Amino acid sequence: MTNYIGKAVKRVEDKRFLTGKGRYTDDIVLPGMLHAYIVRSPYAHAKIISIDTSAAEAMEGVVKVYTGKDIADSGVGGVPCGWQINFKNGDPMKEPPHPLLVADKARYMGDGVAVVIADTREIARDAGDAIEIEWEELPAVAHAKKATEAGQPLVHDDAPNNLCFDWELGNPKEEVDKALSHAHHVTTLEFTNQRVIPNAMEPRSAIGHFDESTDKYTLYTTSQNPHLTRLLLCAFVLGIPEHRVRVVAPDVGGGFGSKIFHYAEEALMIWCSQRLKVPIKWTSDRSEAFMTDAHGRDHVTKAEMGFDKEGHIVGLRINTHANLGAYLSTFAPAVPTWLHGTLLQGLYTTPKIHIDLCGVFTHTTPVDAYRGAGRPEATYLLERMMDVAALEMEMDPAELRVKNFIPPFDGVNEPGYQTQVALQYDSGDYHAVLKRALEMVGYDDFRKEQAEARKQGKLLGIGFSTYIEACGIAPSAVVGALGARAGLYEVGQVRVQPTGKVSVYTGAHSHGQGHETTFAQVVADRLGIPLDDVEIVHGDSESVAFGMGTYGSRSLAVGGSAIVKSLDKIIDKGAKIAAHKLEAAEEDLEFADGKWTVKGTDKSIAFGDIALTAYVPHDYPEGLEPGMDFSSFYDPANFTYPYGAHIAVVEVDQDTGQTKLKRFIAVDDVGNVINPMIVDGQIHGGLAQGIGQALFEGAMYDENGQLINGSYMDYTMPRADDLPSFEIDRTVTPCPHNPLGVKGAGEAGCIGSTPAVVNAVMDALRPFGIKKDLEMPLTPERVWRAMHS
Amino acid sequence: MSTRITVTVNGQAVTRDVEGRTLLVHFLRDTLSLTGTHVGCDTSNCGACTILMDGQAVKSCSMLAAQADGAEITTVEGLSQNGEMHPIQEGFREEHGLQCGFCTPGMMMAAVDLLKNNSNPSEQEIREALEGNFCRCTGYHNIVKSIQYAAKKINEPEKEVA
Amino acid sequence: MQLKGSHRFPASAHTIFNMLMDADTLAKITPGVSTLEATGEDTYKAIANVKLGPVSGSFSGDLEVADKVAPQSFLLKIKQNSKIGNVSANVQIGLQEVGPEETELSFDGKANLSGLLARTGQRVLSGVANTLTKQFFQALEDELSQTRQHPA
Repeated sequence: MTNYIGKAVKRVEDKRFLTGKGRYTDDIVLPGMLHAYIVRSPYAHAKIISIDTSAAEAMEGVVKVYTGKDIADSGVGGVPCGWQINFKNGDPMKEPPHPLLVADKARYMGDGVAVVIADTREIARDAGDAIEIEWEELPAVAHAKKATEAGQPLVHDDAPNNLCFDWELGNPKEEVDKALSHAHHVTTLEFTNQRVIPNAMEPRSAIGHFDESTDKYTLYTTSQNPHLTRLLLCAFVLGIPEHRVRVVAPDVGGGFGSKIFHYAEEALMIWCSQRLKVPIKWTSDRSEAFMTDAHGRDHVTKAEMGFDKEGHIVGLRINTHANLGAYLSTFAPAVPTWLHGTLLQGLYTTPKIHIDLCGVFTHTTPVDAYRGAGRPEATYLLERMMDVAALEMEMDPAELRVKNFIPPFDGVNEPGYQTQVALQYDSGDYHAVLKRALEMVGYDDFRKEQAEARKQGKLLGIGFSTYIEACGIAPSAVVGALGARAGLYEVGQVRVQPTGKVSVYTGAHSHGQGHETTFAQVVADRLGIPLDDVEIVHGDSESVAFGMGTYGSRSLAVGGSAIVKSLDKIIDKGAKIAAHKLEAAEEDLEFADGKWTVKGTDKSIAFGDIALTAYVPHDYPEGLEPGMDFSSFYDPANFTYPYGAHIAVVEVDQDTGQTKLKRFIAVDDVGNVINPMIVDGQIHGGLAQGIGQALFEGAMYDENGQLINGSYMDYTMPRADDLPSFEIDRTVTPCPHNPLGVKGAGEAGCIGSTPAVVNAVMDALRPFGIKKDLEMPLTPERVWRAMHS
Repeated sequence: MSTRITVTVNGQAVTRDVEGRTLLVHFLRDTLSLTGTHVGCDTSNCGACTILMDGQAVKSCSMLAAQADGAEITTVEGLSQNGEMHPIQEGFREEHGLQCGFCTPGMMMAAVDLLKNNSNPSEQEIREALEGNFCRCTGYHNIVKSIQYAAKKINEPEKEVA
Repeated sequence: MQLKGSHRFPASAHTIFNMLMDADTLAKITPGVSTLEATGEDTYKAIANVKLGPVSGSFSGDLEVADKVAPQSFLLKIKQNSKIGNVSANVQIGLQEVGPEETELSFDGKANLSGLLARTGQRVLSGVANTLTKQFFQALEDELSQTRQHPA
């Protein structure tokens, strides 16, 4: 029986957030704490000729100023990269050092140069302003494709043509070339998937605290994965023993990928505290966040898709330049490769696929995973191609998709679907999601309404997108073979207290996803106990044994499964104790509704009694260890593959070029659902970010590598009245290879929505016969110019 | 250079010396340890720091603490009364109007101000009233529903809100 | 940021050119400039108080007048460093007599911004630059008519 799973249980964590008692890193005040301000390069590329810190150090309240030279002299390592990609010829990617503060040269606007430690945040900032730096400005390059051209300035001297790596995936290129040369029709598109800035509402923050008396270090940080941060910090950057370091990620105000990575500031605060022996806090302001939080996307792509006479895809050829920024962020090399190239099969039976891709250094902020990470880029590519192809071949865009869908398979009775690009999909019925979405939008009526509207000069448009993603990362052996320098299992410890209350320690980290509720629902139902009896602990390396953190929609699929493994162990052990107490054979017992019952009798014993017996083992099975505390590592057998169909309906104002998003329909299949309220919330948030990329957001660099829209006055984020209420629904195809049958919902909204909106705007603009693809974001200016050119 | 100010925060009068340049939000967070009010930007665009000053929603990052002398301030910590959640808090919980919780205090303060002036706002009016507040988690969908819930609750306190 | 425009003044190219080469006059007519001191031949140090949209502050900058071809043209090089960002601009100024006692001043150049100035409020900066340019031309015209009434 389930009391909780599948129900919209209200969130356990809400109370503290609603009463102002959430505890975010910047809320933490430690005794004797000092404040840090980081002086950053105003130039994208510049040599440091000299730094004069004397005026700053002489200011009252300033404790110390450290520069890049101090860091270099101390011999600490730089920020490491967690994923290795090899060049096509087998050479390892270029992996230049990424120092905590630079000593010689700044490589992007925002590169840290010096850190001031002072009594207050304000004094630290004033002193930072008093540091005199003489710069020699050098030419910079911000555009990924341009950066690989001859004669462009180099970001790192040992990376010729600014190439970090080149890479390919799929069928042999000759086979794809052949397929395209024989195609009845080839659709070609060149476009940019623009750089976006994650903008979690809580700016990053870190407190480093070295306690000399115990020789222990504590780092409080805004992280999506405290354990990985600890590992990288200890083993690669500072060389301090891991068991002496505690990393706490308390309440974290959103991440969307940007807080996965180990950042220089985290190590820097520990490094400074190691020297000054007091806690030191750094909190980013928004302006700093725009410059230094890892950005997302930024691909320049040429794609060619070939079709036969009936509209079946016969081949897909892709060439992409992916911008990695100035340094390699933790997972940067994985995003455009294994999280992007592998998704180019989409939902279609494309028989031949080949992608050529370059990872490129530029004088810009590092680029890494941002909600969806690679999968939105793949989906945008495929779904724009499908729409343009449908137009060119005079076919209905929905029909063209249906024609090419992979047939349904459940992954149990039918095998998984082997793609041309390495992955094997787990289960799916792709027709079902599109069918439902078409019903919801009323597609047949819409085309009539659109025709009517056009007669009256109103520009209505509809856009489709069907997507698949690979989530629940990932089987460790697989990712290891692909270059990951970490395993991607998860850890779940379940500790039954003597009174039958349950504490669960998970390596996943919640920064808005509601793990404290969803995980508790799973535990309460499996053990047949009230939700209130379950506590979920996360985010502290001192209490949670280990973990790989939350990203890639993996928490429930991987972290939840680890907890289930521990629950199974508890139920097994409980059965042994119950058999002893009930004087029955273990195999004659069944566990349901929180008690073990001798089958066919009314003899039973409750979970709480068994828990107590385990800790007070007076009358106890011989040879069995007391206690009830199990920890499990769950390493998934495969990725999970959520998918869905999104439809946008827009109206474009002919006079202003303004796009009004009138309706947004999303039908997603994320496998089984534990808490529909939370899943819906995840979809909503993802949709807003995906729509944001289509219509509003985009980092802009000028030719000197200056980020010219690095504030909320300049970078447009979707506001409440930019969006409609969303119309969402689900189909449920359980994941066949994890115990919960879940697939993950965190990124879905962000992956499907972007191309749906762009396709809708292009559809609205159809009367203008616009041939050229419009670049995102589709600002009123761009749309207006397209209508008037 | 410091100024002595007296403000009533969540019903309690406090007198403190503040530096001339101290922003109200830093006064609340650092001096009074009311860390429920958040700082999400440095250009007064995000609204995470919204509080009520003399009953009106104000971005506490865009004014100096010294300017608040004599004012009556309500922060998120002062929303619930006698252990009872304010209808807006209840609405956010019932309708899942928050995820990471960082924008939530400011959102709720903006909503309280809206509902004071318009007890039965339409969806469009709610969306427009939230113009000054960013949320990156919810896509605003459930925030709108949360405020509708609160409006219902305020208008018909005795009825259970479905 | 592109800086480009022109304006006609009721004076000879010579008069205008000389006024533009005179530090005191320049200090008087340039919006926001509080002091302008010569630091060498054709180089100046200026202190300006400017409010550019969200960004306001006191800016100290170096000016250099190069490639002087009296009374037709010169190149104005501006370099400004401050804690809120740096500006470097090269602006080519041309003076062409279009009639007796009428001269068209044209300028064409580019300003490179970096740091906070570039990141914050760049979108409003070109508008601000236009306003400042208009103010400058107005002040120059006022100065011209003053000089005419009270010849030195």
